[in-house]
Amino acid sequence: MSTRTSPAPAQAPALPGSAGRAVGRLALRQVRRSGLATLLVAVALTATVAASFDALAADPATLAALRGIARNPAVRTLFGEPVALESAGGFTVWRSGTPVAVLLGVWAALATARTTRGEEETGRWNLLLAGPVRLRAVVGRHLLAVAVVVLATGAALAAALVLTGTPAAGAAVHGAGVAALGLFATTVAALAAQVLATRSAAAGAAVAVLGAGLLTRAVADGVPGWEALRWASPFGLLELSRPYAQDRVLPVLLLLAAAAALAAAALALAGRRDVGEGLLARSAHRRARTGLLGSVEGFAVHRCLRPLVGWSAGVGAYYLLIGTTASAVTEFLAQDAAVRDLAGQAGFSALDSVRGFTATVFSLLPVPVGVFAAVRIAALVAAEPDRRLALLAAGPVGRVRLLGAEVAVTAAGVLALLTVAGFATWAGVTTTGGGLTLPEALRGTWSTAPVALLCLGAAVLAAGWLPAATAPIGSLPAAGGFLLLVLADSTGAPAWVREVSPFAHLAPVPLEPADAAAAAVMTVVAVLLVLVGVVGYRRRDLLC
Amino acid sequence: MSGPALRTVGLTKRYGRTTALDDLSLDVPAGEVFGFLGPNGAGKSTTIRLLLGFARPTAGRAEVFGVDTADVVRAHRLLAHVPADVALWPKLTGAEVLHLLAATGPGTDTALRDELVERFALDPSKPARTYSSGNRQKVALVAAFASRAPLLVLDEPTSGLDPLVEREFRRAVVEAREQGRTVFLCSHQLAEVEAVCDRVGILRAGRLVQVAGVPELRHLHRSEVTVTFTGAAPHLSGLPGVEGVEDAGGGRLRFSLTGSPAPVLRELAAARVTALSVREPRLEEVFLDHYGEGAVR
Repeated sequence: MSTRTSPAPAQAPALPGSAGRAVGRLALRQVRRSGLATLLVAVALTATVAASFDALAADPATLAALRGIARNPAVRTLFGEPVALESAGGFTVWRSGTPVAVLLGVWAALATARTTRGEEETGRWNLLLAGPVRLRAVVGRHLLAVAVVVLATGAALAAALVLTGTPAAGAAVHGAGVAALGLFATTVAALAAQVLATRSAAAGAAVAVLGAGLLTRAVADGVPGWEALRWASPFGLLELSRPYAQDRVLPVLLLLAAAAALAAAALALAGRRDVGEGLLARSAHRRARTGLLGSVEGFAVHRCLRPLVGWSAGVGAYYLLIGTTASAVTEFLAQDAAVRDLAGQAGFSALDSVRGFTATVFSLLPVPVGVFAAVRIAALVAAEPDRRLALLAAGPVGRVRLLGAEVAVTAAGVLALLTVAGFATWAGVTTTGGGLTLPEALRGTWSTAPVALLCLGAAVLAAGWLPAATAPIGSLPAAGGFLLLVLADSTGAPAWVREVSPFAHLAPVPLEPADAAAAAVMTVVAVLLVLVGVVGYRRRDLLC
Repeated sequence: MSGPALRTVGLTKRYGRTTALDDLSLDVPAGEVFGFLGPNGAGKSTTIRLLLGFARPTAGRAEVFGVDTADVVRAHRLLAHVPADVALWPKLTGAEVLHLLAATGPGTDTALRDELVERFALDPSKPARTYSSGNRQKVALVAAFASRAPLLVLDEPTSGLDPLVEREFRRAVVEAREQGRTVFLCSHQLAEVEAVCDRVGILRAGRLVQVAGVPELRHLHRSEVTVTFTGAAPHLSGLPGVEGVEDAGGGRLRFSLTGSPAPVLRELAAARVTALSVREPRLEEVFLDHYGEGAVR
């Protein structure tokens, strides 16, 4: 006779392995769409530049001009040191390598922070962790998902380069290097997500590390005698691999070793900490600071301040560096009349003066500032499905006022960032010899405001009609417009393609006066986008 | 300010082919505590989103004291809201959230707010991210009850609260009614609704199936009674309100009871009863009883 009284479980419990695989599939689902988009943009950019090389090489004058420009430390600061420029592969790596690496690195860092700390912060991981999986395993599976996308991008880049007819060894080294940089970004974000308790802090820290790496590489390339600094930067290591010239594997291996060490540290910390907490302790009690909490508008300022400080630090540091290197790098071109003429023919006008150089660098400014605007509007939209907006929206506050406050504060933030960039550049130039007055610097940075405002307009449009895509649509005029201009210039596309990009309508201020008509048109378009967006925001259902 | 505190006329919301709320017509007079019941997914939260103007009705309209709910700025001066699942800005402390909601809301009695913070045992000096769901709920409840809004729209307000705080909540509702305020209480906790509401409306699959006073609702009640006895079994079959008597084994009888328990108690008094347990049915069971299996989808 059996003495067993407890009923047998109806179903055998899932094995830990299968639970882990389920978590892995969930992680992959969360990154596949943006990951695929990143892969496609990276491959398209690389393939287009590679395909454009034949046309370029057919004209010896253009190629000679390019070589001259590439010797300029100013250009090296921005694009890195060119090697093997006379080959399609070398040219492609020099022209598209840094943008592609930045794109993949930033995507990997943001995706990792979003899918690990972001999911944990909202409490969704509590459900996962109630199953037969440990925190360390969940973190590991999510890193794996991002790593899959990163490795696929590296492989696709190498394949695209081979298909365009470049040597396989160089293609492999470049693909592996970009992928290694992506893995580094992933693991930096993973470590930050263990130490810091919020997604925004973890993402900010990871992006700051990448930014510091880019700055270090820029200094190492731009300042003679500081070349050794490249070994201290992930972007410097990528450059040191020298695809199509020397095809060095050691720098790529170093980058991979750094990523492995960071991953090991992140997983070790994940095994030691409490779920929902970071390693840094948070103060439990504090006094209320109600200064900016008296109105919807004040609250919009309150939420914007902290991110604005972070963005200002990044943008300010970059433009301070540009300012301090401006005098040194422009002297080079001023001394070489032949190269200067060639540079002018190739569209890099007046890089030989501080004002010309800074004007060129100011034209990059709308990219970060426009993305800032898009991200701020996206943050307001994100408060709907997070249900944070419910209590505020239940008050006697109209939708127009809610969105209007955010738009006004974001526009002010845009102007603040442009001002910071102007001040930083001026300060850098002034400490190293001068050649740029403060009003000139501010005119230069402010003249790019219309492009950043277009981003604000596009973001508000999306907030009203396609809220889930607010950040990408808002970033499109700046990031997409910049990519379009680079592509159009590299491929010799028809003029109208180039004209679609708002960057084509920016005058090189302070070298030349601002294009008032173009600025007015862009600003009017931005205002129209905002108005159409507000109409949509009034009409649609809130997501909370 | 005129008309009933809350009025919906043919209020309908469709998402594609799904009808979340179908032709809801309802009046809640000023000063009433109205319970809005229904199983999960019945359309309670959709109704509240429509009342708050968060979502636009597909058809029909809703008014708060005669003001169309689409006119958010005027309508929201007359109401305060506690969401079902309260989310707060994580970096703000409880006190900062209360300050913000007082500044942007329909006006706040700060003395009452301080008193409610004490009564609900809320520590307002902690950042919101360290709050449990119950504590977040408390912040929203304090803000709503301390407001001067004549209508309170509460969505599952006690789901995360402990029994002590829940008792304070019931007291606060009673005080609100004494001040002449109207309370629209969305819940699926029958006991809570019974304790504080004057009238209830029952929603099922997007349709209002019944509006009744609480005494009428009691008829819906069918308690499950289990009696343990020694000796001869009491004869319960046939007594008024008793149904489904079954032998649960081990000297136990189980049956369902509707209405007054007096006849059953008289019969049990004659038997040697050693234990008696009464389990009130969950709302879902009441629904299943009253409306058949189709009630819960």
